[in-house]
Amino acid sequence: MNQKVAEPKPAVNINDDYCSRCTICSSLCPYDAITQDRDNNKMVLDIEKCQVCGICYSACPAKAIDTIYYSSGSVLKYLDKVRPQYKSDTLVIMCKGSAPDFSEVGRLFGVKDFIPLSVPCVGRISEEVLLGVLVAGIKKINILACDEDYCRFHRGSPLTGRRTIALNRMLGQLGYGEEAITLKRNSLKVTVDKDLCIACGNCVYYCPYNAPTLTSAGGISFDLDACRGCGLCVALCPAFALDLENWERDRISDLIPQLLAEMKPPKILVFRCQWAVYPPLNGDMSPNIGTIELPCAGRVEALHVLEALQNGADGVMVVACSEDDCKQEKVSAKSEWVVTRIKEKLDQIGLGDKINFASVSPRYPGQVEEKVRQFRQSLEGAGADKGENK
Amino acid sequence: MIVTTLKPLDEILESISPYRKILIAGCDGCTQPPRGIREAKTLKQLLELAGQLKGKEFEFKVTSVVKQCDSVLTTSAIKPYVEDIEAVLSLACGAGPQTVAEFFPDLPVIPAQNSHFIGIDDREGGAMFDSCAACGDCILALTGGICPVTRCSKGLLSGACGGASNGKCELDPERDCAWELIYERLRRLGKLDLIRELTPPKDYSAKGWRVTP
Repeated sequence: MNQKVAEPKPAVNINDDYCSRCTICSSLCPYDAITQDRDNNKMVLDIEKCQVCGICYSACPAKAIDTIYYSSGSVLKYLDKVRPQYKSDTLVIMCKGSAPDFSEVGRLFGVKDFIPLSVPCVGRISEEVLLGVLVAGIKKINILACDEDYCRFHRGSPLTGRRTIALNRMLGQLGYGEEAITLKRNSLKVTVDKDLCIACGNCVYYCPYNAPTLTSAGGISFDLDACRGCGLCVALCPAFALDLENWERDRISDLIPQLLAEMKPPKILVFRCQWAVYPPLNGDMSPNIGTIELPCAGRVEALHVLEALQNGADGVMVVACSEDDCKQEKVSAKSEWVVTRIKEKLDQIGLGDKINFASVSPRYPGQVEEKVRQFRQSLEGAGADKGENK
Repeated sequence: MIVTTLKPLDEILESISPYRKILIAGCDGCTQPPRGIREAKTLKQLLELAGQLKGKEFEFKVTSVVKQCDSVLTTSAIKPYVEDIEAVLSLACGAGPQTVAEFFPDLPVIPAQNSHFIGIDDREGGAMFDSCAACGDCILALTGGICPVTRCSKGLLSGACGGASNGKCELDPERDCAWELIYERLRRLGKLDLIRELTPPKDYSAKGWRVTP
């Protein structure tokens, strides 16, 4: 039998048997991860450059690209399964990067009931899915994409725009009306409470996008066009004067005890960058692990880590992208620094082992599970040591 | 700005141990980052966690004062809590706790910070150093904007002493020779003639201990 140690299986793969060498994938890839071999014309994917946006997958005319995340077949199957839960034949496909909570999404489209489908980048959703759900009886598709210059994968939102126009034209000819698919764009940005601002300039220093400036009036002013919603300034504002749409401080604070109450020990609360891990469509299922998805690990703040510990978490993990994979300007590195500083303080009171920072990528599935497993082991080991000492 | 660091949490716990109801008072003033409401809240959480481990229960309140060295601002910020607290734990530089002590004679106050110096906030470089001794008689105009009182180990007014090697101080090889920096800076500015002026002894009485504006 095959005794070889299994290589980690990448999340995206080009199947050369089906590839027609059209090079659409390489022309659309935002990261130059796909190139054509000059000798044999084969399309070659450099998985280390790939950020798993799924744009090549959704655009490949020959269906020669496989992805383990949100493939057309699995999305259609999932929607088929969950549809009876919803009293609606309207589907809303939204990008996690720009989707506020569902009630607000509904308000954006003027619908009360809808079937929600939340994905990391709508650019991965192919025509096959959009037409497939119409065939399955969905009457109306709404797509919420990021504003074009806010798209974490740069080309996902523009591509979805072109795809929507093209499909609507064809569907119009078939009698579906010109607006079977409606596309809206949104982005989630910093909010400022000027009454709380102490004009310290911390945000000016930390913002990678030069969005904030201190005004002569002694307050802060944000250029919201420049803000990319990473949340670093929010996490570091000494006066709690800043907040982030959809990831408000209070909202996260409310979520922490709720999640922990439902979990079983050892309870590990994971603050996770939503680009570092792509969860399965039906969510993460472990009873020991609670997950709070964040727009970027930069949004993690000491307050929430300590709240988790105060509310009974046995361990807190911050899961980020690596510095090179960070969808923001190297914010994940800053996040590690933030976590290190919290850990230094927790070390002083003997709780430093309860916090852990890990960087992972969705390009190799299972990475996060492995990191969580290691952390859990170290927590249980530490617990056992203490027991022996008694 | 005033450079401070948080005291070891053990030391803080020890100092607050006689009290149960404690107001943690941040300061939005001169430190960077300001030890404001966030730091106060974080310290509260850390002390609560540490208290739980040691079986000690605290009742913390948190606030932050715009400038804790300002008698009016501090008095008005702390007054609403006075009836309800046994002590104040101050996140300000040394002037903050003393303001509290001055204007609340019956209220114990505990510093949570060690104050180091008035320094440059070199955010990219990370390390900060003493750059102003508040000597009361500033001579930066003569020294190219580099203070020999703080940055020369010997505090010489007419350097260099001759002990430096490779631009580093003979007393501390980590430390740049301030007078070499001053020389270099004056040379760049074309004002080397200033270094030939013998600076008379400083009038340290000007530092004073009290100024009425």
